[in-house]
Amino acid sequence: MATTDEIAEAYADWQVRCNANRRLSKMLRGWDRVVHLAASDTGDGFTVTVAGSVLTDLVVGLVGQPDLVVTATSEDFADLFWGDLNPSEKYLSGDIILAGSSEDVMRLDAMSMVAFLDQ
Amino acid sequence: MSTADRTVDVVVAGAGYSGLNAARHLVASGLDVLVLEARDRVGGRVWTEVTPGGATVDHGGQWLGPTQDHLATLAGEFEAPTFPTWVDGANLEVRDGTRHEFTGLVPTSDADASADAVAALLDLDLLALEVSASEPWTHPDALDLDQRTVASWMEENVESRGARDMIATAVLAVYGAEPSELSLLFALGYAHGGGSMSALIRTAGGAQETRFTGGAQQLALRLAEELGDRVILDAPVVEVAHGPDGVTVVARRTAHGGPTTDGGPTTDGDPTTDGGSRQPWRVRARRLVVAMPPAVQARIAFNPPLPGAREQLAQHAPMGSVTKIHAVYDRPFWRDEGLSGQLIADTGAVRAVFDDSPDDAAHGILVGFIAGREDRRLEHAGPDGRRALALDELAFGFGPLAAEPVEFVEQRWSAEPYSRGGPVACFAPGLLTGCGEALREAVGPIHWAGTETATAWSGYIDGALSSGERAAAEVATALGAG
Repeated sequence: MATTDEIAEAYADWQVRCNANRRLSKMLRGWDRVVHLAASDTGDGFTVTVAGSVLTDLVVGLVGQPDLVVTATSEDFADLFWGDLNPSEKYLSGDIILAGSSEDVMRLDAMSMVAFLDQ
Repeated sequence: MSTADRTVDVVVAGAGYSGLNAARHLVASGLDVLVLEARDRVGGRVWTEVTPGGATVDHGGQWLGPTQDHLATLAGEFEAPTFPTWVDGANLEVRDGTRHEFTGLVPTSDADASADAVAALLDLDLLALEVSASEPWTHPDALDLDQRTVASWMEENVESRGARDMIATAVLAVYGAEPSELSLLFALGYAHGGGSMSALIRTAGGAQETRFTGGAQQLALRLAEELGDRVILDAPVVEVAHGPDGVTVVARRTAHGGPTTDGGPTTDGDPTTDGGSRQPWRVRARRLVVAMPPAVQARIAFNPPLPGAREQLAQHAPMGSVTKIHAVYDRPFWRDEGLSGQLIADTGAVRAVFDDSPDDAAHGILVGFIAGREDRRLEHAGPDGRRALALDELAFGFGPLAAEPVEFVEQRWSAEPYSRGGPVACFAPGLLTGCGEALREAVGPIHWAGTETATAWSGYIDGALSSGERAAAEVATALGAG
């Protein structure tokens, strides 16, 4: 189980890497979205906004109307952001669940995989 | 009445899934139907056999995936047992002659190339969402997209060679064709029909997710059983005369010692009543449903000739080139080593492999695909040469045990005269924008079915079923039936 602070710290690291990634910047172009992260084990919620091809800071709590909802354990969120977890493996196993339009799911699936591969 | 003079409401040419489903719906509409099938079996590009050693292998189409609702419904109706394709364990990648293991969807040995491939696949998937699966030619940039090939798109949009190789492998596995042979517009519409290119290449959550215990042909056999003596085997349609009053269909007879196509037994005597004559059958009907790929339809002589667009369609949509191999072992030994049985390779003959073992693992079976240029190149290698090459490559991935199967079978679809290749017709650049509308447009009393005409899951069993249903509805409406 990961605490809110641990997830926030991991996310901050991921955010820096993602925003510095040329390939990801291109993938995020024109894709402004609100993403809710729901930790299935702790009940914690977080909000991430993609705007202007960059990821904004993590907000604790579920804020605004989400375009996408990602559900996983707190540990998986932390591992994902630290780059220790292969996201496609977790999607396939159903440990990470994405809910949103097919296009948004497709984009988040691909960008998280690129972030994992490009670290 | 002799068969030479037989008259029915509707002839269906082809007893693959599309033809059988068309016939089923036509019968349900109260119409008198005769299905003429060239082979000595039903199922078309779906063919299940039990090997001498008792292993069940699907030589052709075999999987059921999410959103393939027509196939899922039929499987449910016939209570056909299914099970998930085996995916547990590490996948294998052979890249530049080196073997790597990976988990998840994407190889990780060359992370930069893989990231490039993932980004490119997303671009393709997003583009595919803009292209209608049923009418790709209506896209605002259809002409531009149809002038390009998947290969030329990759040259312009995919930076690394490694990423291009990965996408090429996926294209080969899905279409049985080289990226340079496929219209980009066609590839995008086809992908959209199954959700996305990503969905087409996935096992869990994708087109390869589920298998049928006992093979995928069983539903075709059940449909044929239901249709009874309305289905005539060994009767390839060779001529169609058509006009406002209907069609006269001529079927050659290959039974009674005539040539067969698959090496299997022919029926002894026809199930109708002409006493064993080898005269061609002439069947008169109000409507005809042609349920076969365009390239096979091209071998039928139509009088009067078909419209130019339809003729061009039949000439410029060749079948993919694919050979499907099965290596059968006593047990799925790779599972003991933590391997899933899935392999992709950027070079070599066998570019994609899956665990094809039965649900009870009574045998271990690896199924592999030789496709595109390699498939054509290996024509002259012969069965023994292809076997040796395939086993060598399997052994490189799965270890020396893979070189010693208890049985090995190949199905070379390119050499099969009533499919002429597989898994699907591959539309050349310029064809869809020029002739796409002819794909489903009836020509007088002639209607078109076959998975290539499907508006979703074209190229798959599901698309075949829906195309048959659609063609049957057209005919029923035209004849005021149902």
